[in-house]
Amino acid sequence: TMLKSTFTLLSWQQQVGQYYTIPSAQLKKAFPNGLPRRFQMQIKTFNEACVMVRQPGLELISYLKRADYAKPALRYILFGEVGCGKTMSLCHTLHFCSTQGWLVLHVPDAHLWVKNCKELLPSSSRPTRLDQPIEASQWLKNFKITNEHFLSKQIKTTRRYIWTKRESTEEGRPLGEMVDHGMSRVKSSSDVVGALLRELRLQAGGATEDAFRLAVAVDGVNALWGKTSLKKEDKSPVSPDDLTLIHNLKKMLRNDWCGGAILTTLSQTGSLFKPRSAYLPTELLGEEGFDNMDPFVPIPVSNYSDKEFESCYLYYMDRNWLQHPHSRTEEGRKELLFLSSRNPSILERLCSFL
Amino acid sequence: MAASTFCFALSPLSKIKCNVNIIYTLNKRTAFSGGLSKIKGVEKQVAALPERSSQGPRRPRREAGEPRTERMSVDQDWTAVYPTAKSFKQNAVPLPVRMGYPVKRGVPPEKKGNLELIKIPNFLHLTPVSIKKHCEALKPFCTEWPNALDSDAKCEEHFPIQVQSKDFVSAGPSLRNPKARIITLTVKLSSLNLDDHARKKMIKLSGERYNKESDTLTITTESCPLRQQNYDYALYLLTVLYHESWKMEEWEKEKTRADMEEYVWEDSPSQKNILETLLRMHAVEKCEEDGGVQKELLGRPEVEEYKDSVTKLKNEGENECNIQQYKDAVKKLLNI
Repeated sequence: TMLKSTFTLLSWQQQVGQYYTIPSAQLKKAFPNGLPRRFQMQIKTFNEACVMVRQPGLELISYLKRADYAKPALRYILFGEVGCGKTMSLCHTLHFCSTQGWLVLHVPDAHLWVKNCKELLPSSSRPTRLDQPIEASQWLKNFKITNEHFLSKQIKTTRRYIWTKRESTEEGRPLGEMVDHGMSRVKSSSDVVGALLRELRLQAGGATEDAFRLAVAVDGVNALWGKTSLKKEDKSPVSPDDLTLIHNLKKMLRNDWCGGAILTTLSQTGSLFKPRSAYLPTELLGEEGFDNMDPFVPIPVSNYSDKEFESCYLYYMDRNWLQHPHSRTEEGRKELLFLSSRNPSILERLCSFL
Repeated sequence: MAASTFCFALSPLSKIKCNVNIIYTLNKRTAFSGGLSKIKGVEKQVAALPERSSQGPRRPRREAGEPRTERMSVDQDWTAVYPTAKSFKQNAVPLPVRMGYPVKRGVPPEKKGNLELIKIPNFLHLTPVSIKKHCEALKPFCTEWPNALDSDAKCEEHFPIQVQSKDFVSAGPSLRNPKARIITLTVKLSSLNLDDHARKKMIKLSGERYNKESDTLTITTESCPLRQQNYDYALYLLTVLYHESWKMEEWEKEKTRADMEEYVWEDSPSQKNILETLLRMHAVEKCEEDGGVQKELLGRPEVEEYKDSVTKLKNEGENECNIQQYKDAVKKLLNI
């Protein structure tokens, strides 16, 4: 059965396979760029954002509810085959976090930071590193949209940051000022990102009244320990550690801070130099990545179960998405089941033809 | 018959006159038909033979007799028919074999006059009966298999080193075959007296020649011209490998983590991570920190379980089952 309702915190378990809608006001705020591209197209078509409640998402939310936030941050890795719904589960969890009032630090696709970079500047603060101004400023913009209310009021900088000879941010200023500076002065945006991450790390989960919890979400975390497709000016390959953004993000993923959680997914889709059949953690993360992320809680994401498939099929029928008359019959349903072998993304692509 | 002899006598002279030839061919025909009717009692109308300007001595064509298959009994001795490898003789094989591509609306052609059957190799000379006979003939040259070695395991135990060589027999101008000098020596490392370090060093030294699944070291030698020399060389290589792997060189102390064959959890980044995490977690609860806390933390059963699951993951490769185990261990450890 399909149940469209705004979510409730209780009784999730019975609702596996059912859809819930994200109100559009929250949608723009929470996910300026976070959802998978095809899902964004679906939102535009159906004029609503309906997310299916599935087991991995529920599992992750239950862990988050039960975790002790005085202790160091726990790391969770969602893994599974291509097109199983890892990014969607992550977004589902992030929506939960944002409704709970957490500060959400979402990197929609870490692979975008290691390939196809138009501009690579040598870093102003450290001579060996490379900056990516465009990606950094883009990310800051999205971050601001998501976490507007935190930035303007609550969080203050703890020390003075000097960006260039003439520009600096004083101690005690709201973080929003720093973010604005980063967006306007594109050259130092990567450093701003680094400083922002540091501030958030230091201030998350304090014991004060306006303490906030920090959710660090990285999609495609295996990009941080793989290879990049970027080259320096002398055509030598760039390793991920040479990039300021990646370096700072790695510091964020260590569990030496308290008061939040680190949610990540592995993604083969955007990854470089990895075979398509790779989906297990060590295959995609590599030895180095595994050692860095260890200990983490691996959460497998699988294809649709029978109930979930049924639910998805009925949803498409309800929205009149399946136009072809044969697809509405029992035989058509069996055909779809067989052709997609219950893989969510393949099913979605198949149905878009019908 | 007078007519026939007349024919034979005059055949050389037939070259001179064609006219005479015609008469003689006619005569020959009548003689033939007469002869046939005498022997077989079957009237055969011989078709008009084409005009032949015979260049050489005319060879009379004999009729084929009945095929040998007609006279074969069911319980005959087949080894007498095909004692050695011979091509397929259709009148000696009493089987109605058909071979070849069937023309439209047809069947594969019969064995009589079938080149396809002659071209292919046949094993008619190797029936079970003939093999039995071969074995019986070879028995006087064999010795008894020792009674004590009645199982494979015992053979392995007493004779761990196996040496294989090949002999070649062919008919040709020379009996010698260069491939006969190759020697292959196989030995299982479990039967050698090696300690841990020696075993790892031996495996590294042998490289490609070691098979992990069956734990065998295979040495193939073909660099010397004679088989005896190759055999000695193979044994020498085995001896050298064994003694060298027992020696400990100075530079072996610099063995790094990357050189290790299998994953060892002690001193690994994983151990450091878990120690740090646990310390941080406990630093929140109690405010004191001990040097002995480390050992105590490491001794806990959850940490043991975690250690086992990580070692298993790294050594055996990943699969669903391993990851599930790892997940459970981490959950227990971090109190989720």
